[in-house]
Amino acid sequence: MAIRFTQTEERILALAGTDLPDTEQPFLSIAEQAGVDEQTVIDLLADLKKRKIIRRFGATLRHQKAGYGHNAMVAWRVSPERADEVGEIFAARPEISHCYIRRTYPEWTYNVYTMIHGERPGQTDEVVAELEKITGIDDHCTLKSLKELKKTSMVYFK
Amino acid sequence: MDTYDKQILDIIQSHFPLVSRPYDEVGRQVGLSGDEVLARVHALKKSGVIRRMGANFNSNTLGWQSTLCAASVPEDRLDAFVAEVNKHDGVTHNYLRENEFNVWFALIAPDMDAVEAILASITEATGIKVLNLPASRLFKIKVDFKMDK
Repeated sequence: MAIRFTQTEERILALAGTDLPDTEQPFLSIAEQAGVDEQTVIDLLADLKKRKIIRRFGATLRHQKAGYGHNAMVAWRVSPERADEVGEIFAARPEISHCYIRRTYPEWTYNVYTMIHGERPGQTDEVVAELEKITGIDDHCTLKSLKELKKTSMVYFK
Repeated sequence: MDTYDKQILDIIQSHFPLVSRPYDEVGRQVGLSGDEVLARVHALKKSGVIRRMGANFNSNTLGWQSTLCAASVPEDRLDAFVAEVNKHDGVTHNYLRENEFNVWFALIAPDMDAVEAILASITEATGIKVLNLPASRLFKIKVDFKMDK
């Protein structure tokens, strides 16, 4: 069930969820637009961050430009009995940003997904080779990205 | 990008100060004036290193449903399929990938019924089956990257 917010809170969150103005007091400009005082905005954001409803507050980078340009999405076929153990091993790697177990289909049987980031060409392959050795799982598929078709931030509040 | 820029990016990615004058606070941490930090942030935005600054909501704790979807789309129907998928606001990322399943997109909606309704409408409009691959377990989501190594 989606959490409900007041209309004022939704207005604040809509503004905070887009792009902060580059000003000395960015929360003040949100407050002025939402018709509340600055501290109300700061308190709401701090509370939602504490409750992990805001996962992260701050700058989102374009990774290619920030020197993390060599990424690989790798899907692994792991027996259901080992999926939890193997997932923990993958998630412990600093080069891996995302790690999940996902639903499978008869025509698509890979179940554990990792997003691996490298700073130089070939680094993601090295990580995959090391993880193969550590876990003994050698059945995997690199879903190499050929083209970005869409990339936006989700708009939860309008 | 110099060491100051990298230190600033490390702070403002995950520990953006939730205070009245956040750049003064960042300046205190790195040893610059607030004005200098703000000028650098402005430049990093302008050059495209910073894509956006603000709140990143957690679809799970908000109570929304997120999923990954995959489809095997013939080359000659790719443009039409991608246009149909991308028109949905809940589709946040979409990539062409080197696989028999060549289109992979992330979808967020208020609940699983809404996810399934969107996927059914895509299949109805394009005749292409979409695999719905929701996560049954999440081990890690890390979206900030250490810049100043």
